[in-house]
Amino acid sequence: MDVDGGSTSSDSTRVRSIPIRSGQCKAFLSQFKQQSLPACKPVLTPAWVIAIHLLLGFVFIPIGLVTLHASRGVLEIVDRYDADCVPEEFKGNKVSYIKDTSVPKNCTRILKVHKYMKAPIYIYYQLDNYYQNHRRYVKSRSDQQLLHGLKYNDTSSCKPEESNNGLPIVPCGLIAWSLFNDTYTFIHGTAELRVNRKNIAWKSDRDHKFGKHVYPFNFQNGTLIGGGKLDPNIPLGDQEDLIVWMRTSALPSFRKIYGRIEEDLEADDVIVVHLMNNYNTYSFGGKKKLVISTSSWLGGRNDFLGVAYIFVGSSAVILSLVFLLLHVKNPR
Amino acid sequence: MTRDVSLTGRSSTTRTVRLGRVQPQAPSHRTIYCNDREANFPIRFKGNSISTTKYNFFTFLPKGLFEQFRRVANCYFLFISILSMTPISPVNPVTNVVPLSLVLLVSLIKEAFEDWKRFQNDMVINNGPVEVLQDQKWETVPWKKLQVGDIVRVKQDGFFPADLLFLASTNPDGVCYIETANLDGETNLKIRKALERTWDYSTPEKAAEFKGEVQCEQPNNSLYTFTGNLIIQKQTLPLSPNQLLLRGCSLRNTEYIVGAVIFTGHETKVMMNSMNVPSKRSTLERKLDKLILTLFGSLFLMCLIGAIASGIFINRKYHYLGLDEGAPTEFNPSNRFGVAALTLFTLITLYSTIIPISLYVSIEMIKFIQCTQFINKDLHMYHAETNTAALARTSNLNEELGQVEYIFSDKTGTLTRNLMEFFKCSIGGEVYGFGITEIEQGGAERNGIQVQVHKSVSAVHEKGFNFDDSRLMRGAWRNEPDPDTCKEFFRCLAICHTVLPEGDESPEKITYQAASPDEAALVTAAKNFGFFFYRRTPTMIYVRESHVEKMGKILDVAYEILNVLEFNSTRKRQSVVCRYPDGRLVLYCKGADTVIYERLADGNDDLKKITRGHLEQFGSAGLRTLCLAYRDLSPEMYESWNEKFIQAKSSLRDRENKLDEVAELIEKELILIGSTAIEDKLQEGVPGCIQTLSRAGIKIWVLTGDKMETAINIAYACNLINNEMKQFIISSETDAIREVENRGDQVEIACFIKEEVKKELKRCLEEAQHCLSTVSGPKLALVIDGKCLMYALDPSLRVMLLNLSLNCSSVVCCRVSPLQKAQVTSLVKKGARKITLSIGDGANDVSMIQAAHIGVGISGLEGMQAVMASDFAIAQFRYLADLLLVHGRWSYLRICKVITYFFYKNLTFTLTQFWFTFHTGFSGQRFYDDWFQSLYNVIFTALPVIMVGLFDKDVSASLSKKYPELYKEGIRNVFFKWRVVGTWACFSVYQSLIFYHFVTTSSAGGKNSSGRIFGLWDVSTMAFTCVVITVNLRLLMICNSITRWHYISVGGSILAWFIFIFVYSIFRENVFFVIYVLMSTFYFYITILLVPIVALLGDFIYQGVQRWFFPYDYQIVQEIHRHEPDDNSRAGLLEIENQLTPHEERSYAIAQLPREISKHTGFAFDSPGYESFFAAQLGIYAPQKPWDVARRASVRSRPKTSKKN
Repeated sequence: MDVDGGSTSSDSTRVRSIPIRSGQCKAFLSQFKQQSLPACKPVLTPAWVIAIHLLLGFVFIPIGLVTLHASRGVLEIVDRYDADCVPEEFKGNKVSYIKDTSVPKNCTRILKVHKYMKAPIYIYYQLDNYYQNHRRYVKSRSDQQLLHGLKYNDTSSCKPEESNNGLPIVPCGLIAWSLFNDTYTFIHGTAELRVNRKNIAWKSDRDHKFGKHVYPFNFQNGTLIGGGKLDPNIPLGDQEDLIVWMRTSALPSFRKIYGRIEEDLEADDVIVVHLMNNYNTYSFGGKKKLVISTSSWLGGRNDFLGVAYIFVGSSAVILSLVFLLLHVKNPR
Repeated sequence: MTRDVSLTGRSSTTRTVRLGRVQPQAPSHRTIYCNDREANFPIRFKGNSISTTKYNFFTFLPKGLFEQFRRVANCYFLFISILSMTPISPVNPVTNVVPLSLVLLVSLIKEAFEDWKRFQNDMVINNGPVEVLQDQKWETVPWKKLQVGDIVRVKQDGFFPADLLFLASTNPDGVCYIETANLDGETNLKIRKALERTWDYSTPEKAAEFKGEVQCEQPNNSLYTFTGNLIIQKQTLPLSPNQLLLRGCSLRNTEYIVGAVIFTGHETKVMMNSMNVPSKRSTLERKLDKLILTLFGSLFLMCLIGAIASGIFINRKYHYLGLDEGAPTEFNPSNRFGVAALTLFTLITLYSTIIPISLYVSIEMIKFIQCTQFINKDLHMYHAETNTAALARTSNLNEELGQVEYIFSDKTGTLTRNLMEFFKCSIGGEVYGFGITEIEQGGAERNGIQVQVHKSVSAVHEKGFNFDDSRLMRGAWRNEPDPDTCKEFFRCLAICHTVLPEGDESPEKITYQAASPDEAALVTAAKNFGFFFYRRTPTMIYVRESHVEKMGKILDVAYEILNVLEFNSTRKRQSVVCRYPDGRLVLYCKGADTVIYERLADGNDDLKKITRGHLEQFGSAGLRTLCLAYRDLSPEMYESWNEKFIQAKSSLRDRENKLDEVAELIEKELILIGSTAIEDKLQEGVPGCIQTLSRAGIKIWVLTGDKMETAINIAYACNLINNEMKQFIISSETDAIREVENRGDQVEIACFIKEEVKKELKRCLEEAQHCLSTVSGPKLALVIDGKCLMYALDPSLRVMLLNLSLNCSSVVCCRVSPLQKAQVTSLVKKGARKITLSIGDGANDVSMIQAAHIGVGISGLEGMQAVMASDFAIAQFRYLADLLLVHGRWSYLRICKVITYFFYKNLTFTLTQFWFTFHTGFSGQRFYDDWFQSLYNVIFTALPVIMVGLFDKDVSASLSKKYPELYKEGIRNVFFKWRVVGTWACFSVYQSLIFYHFVTTSSAGGKNSSGRIFGLWDVSTMAFTCVVITVNLRLLMICNSITRWHYISVGGSILAWFIFIFVYSIFRENVFFVIYVLMSTFYFYITILLVPIVALLGDFIYQGVQRWFFPYDYQIVQEIHRHEPDDNSRAGLLEIENQLTPHEERSYAIAQLPREISKHTGFAFDSPGYESFFAAQLGIYAPQKPWDVARRASVRSRPKTSKKN
């Protein structure tokens, strides 16, 4: 530090008067600078702790009950078929069964309806241990191409399924390539149940993510076939199976919607399902399940939310009682 | 020159060897050709311009960036940014590069701005005008143009621009007077004398002829030494410090001087003495680095887990992943090690959010606003009289203010105003003076009594005199029970002193030149009592006495001064033998009570006892006392004594001792008159402030250049030491040491003192440990002087000193040099690892201010040196309470909250990502969209935490000061311990688990009445919404006070997220329309209610239980004052209604004062350099004393009067 030679420098630091001014904004500034802005000072006293817990209980338990009720109202039939659909001789080597194109893949399952199921009844297929959220898998798609087709040439993100014979595959990428291709037909009594496979994808996907004029003309033409094929004459925007499949799941165990049965099913009805067991989950030990489920305002059957609400609500009430006891017994 | 300086000089040469800061003397000498720029040119001396900036134009970018990348976090982000440009990154590089650049930009702008201010300040100094001799004329040039060898002229009151060789002055005898306040804080004038050979070179014509050659030592930092030779016309003349004018001093009482520049710019002694401006970082920030390192650790661990698992997971059996031979290394199952290694980096970029990127910028912004808006604008730290507000000069150390444990304070100018005032006296067993000292006031206030000081009409207040008792004024003492004693008292005050009057011989206009302000105060007191001392000649003292014979009569009386038995620190008394005009021979004596009482005549025990009681009373009130006594001498007895005296006086050997012995012969059988009590005027509010600070758990050390007695006195006055404390005094002023010193062998002295100090330290330490081991042992205080300290700081004794001093609640170091102040500070800073604060006002405090964690400068009347080196500048010592207890504590709390909250929110966020990794085959798939991830820190959670950093207040400012104990939480660092961080981390883990698992589990299955299913981005958007809401609400839970700005910012942040996603999801393919899809389901609303509440419930219960069963101190205070409205005025809390009349009140207050028997009586007539100047006149030889300076100064400015005498 050096000697302060003159008074000029000291003036600048020394003379700093603090005027107090009036006016709304200035009052605020003054309060701000003096750190005296009006503030509420919550003090979490025991009374508050108890009251808030009680309140929480009284709000949560009803919500939980309603939610649980809705979830419980949903009927669900789940049938795992991947293991049973393998013929006896292939039980030891399921992978060779699924890879052997000469072996017929059809299989018949019989489902029993326990309770009256009101239409619409949704058909899902469920895959377990299937990593649709693997990094290599998730990024192996081209949203631009799905929307614009060959007008969009950069399919580098689609590796390793980006092109075939120099032309970009439409739709490119691993996700599309591994399209699920098991099919189900449902026989109720003697007649086949009509399965509506339209309008199963989110509308925004159909309208804005998949092109109306993009046709899968060279899909699954490569040496290695990953999964389902697409009708080259239908634009991607109408290939709802693909659209559903390409909304990749968050977890390795997921359901995807297959279609909708628009008839009521009575209790004790028996439904025969003829399915084509095409999709290879055997090599990595994934499970395949067929799910038939009704729906509520909340969606499918999922007790989790309701149970969580009730659990949290009742814990809060119990805690508040415990605190209350402590407070009464040992007030501060 | 003076003995004083040569002593210090000796000690500083020893320092060269011992303490290392002094550069070793280069063997070569520098040779300077005065007044000959060409001859000097080849040597290339440094210029006189100085620079205290950290950067210059070219080094700014590299050095500034380097400074920035010293922060671990910034380094890390650079690394991540580079990494995210590689293909293995799961995120877009822009999302990492942009925030980092933003952070760097903001920080660099701030650095540049601060350095620019420093640069401007340097420019002002460098461009100050100085007159240089050019072509036989004085040319005004800026300081920076000055070169070694130049001849310069400095006018009265000007500052010396460089270290100058003093050639000539306008004063006769070639002397000049300088004030060294900027160097050592001493305001009394020092004398410098040019060599006789050069006296004539004062006119430009003559000076142009001066062609000398100076050979002198290389630049060094020892202020009091200088050796060299001036070779002029083949004559070699030795140079001493007496011819050296140091940069930074100013010229006084001299029209102008002419000097030759010897050292310039950074080579001047004052600049060499200043340490480099260290870039201070707060301790909290350093601890923050540790926290961030820990985060790195956990990051690495998380990545390692993920990486190893990914190596295990990857398998060709997942045919849908297309993992054939051509797969890239990161996914190639045939190279599992490669997969693991690359995934490690992938995960590092993915989890980079664990390190909060905006943390540093946010903290810097918060601190900046805290400084510029809160500290600088605080009306409670605004000193109206000098129109000075507090000034925070750096914004790095705000929170450090909340953790200070040791304060090192300068005395003069900081604690005291260096203003002595005659306050009370005791005459013939009667106390006069109604005033109440600040200490008494403070004591009364602590006992809950509000003392209003009402000035009565009779109170007289002028410089040096503040006395309120009409019984002694205007001759009223004649009616007192013992008027004769009163008369002796006043005469003693008027005669027995070594003061020189200056100016007009009228009571209003006269000023007294005295070596110590105490003396001046006593003489001023005599003047006010009607005994006006107005003229002195070597043999006579003239006093204008009023009301002596009868009321209203004024009489000029001349007393013949026969002998002066001067004051020194062994004698601790001073006597004058005088002859009245009527021939009465009297010896007047004043001195410390201990020495006077030993020499009193027998009898009159009542008076002695009463007076002793008064002395103790004065002492405990913090007053400096002196006893006055006289003795009538018979002519015969005097004559025989005077012979011995003259003999002793003219002896050549051992004269001082002989004089002392002779003095003993006559200074006996004294008759006690009474005692005086002088108030060493403290700065306003100092004792109260110190009391508050020590209640806050802060230990205060006083480091002063003053003598031991003075220092102890002030320590008493400031409540630092009281009689209940056990004092350890380690002094070099012992007989044993003095004896060895007299033998003069430097090596022997050093060894001996070291041994003595070691012995003392050991003894004290043992006693201290003994005291501490007892349950209610007394508090301890240590007093040590500079010379002992020098040896005690030796590495071998350092630990002992530290142990002892840390056990003491207050420490006083006296006679310390500026460098020692810094050493003591760093001893505690490094040795005890506690936060230290230094406060001072002068240039002598600069090194101490820079050495401490926090330097505080008093921006008062003295130079701006201390302020320029400081981190904070305040106008008064008492504002320290506001600065530390209010601003410091709040800043600390706020910054702690900000940091822990940042830590929490980023950890929570990153952990959800981490849990997701387990469900993606450890592939490093991102859970959130990259813009979610990068904007999370920058937008969605940035603003509310700044609000907390600015507005959070646990208790109001007045309560902070009312309960200083709250400050201890900061000293113990309660709010930023690993335990606190650990608690937050636990809740982070809990919350992240809730977020991830609640959202994913509940999202399985169809999610609306048409049975449609959510995909990855729907779920992650849901989770992200929950995170943003929860994290923002969590912030509200940590607030102690919630202003509407909190609501706005928290609400705004959540809203910002929704607005963002509403817009963003229209454009971005992967999250296309997710928010609309989500919001079309009931699921969204039910989850958004459940998840944040469940996540916050844990924290809520924890907070409730913690406050209920294990409350912090501040929480208790909060609840005590829960129903009081927040007083924004801060004042008036301690005011108690009282209906007493002022007089009743005062007597009541006095009655309430503690009346314990005081051992300390406050003798302090002992300022540096108080020794009589008469020795020089009467003796054959006497070394020149500092006192001469003042005398000469007064003689010069009053030549006519002295001639007349």
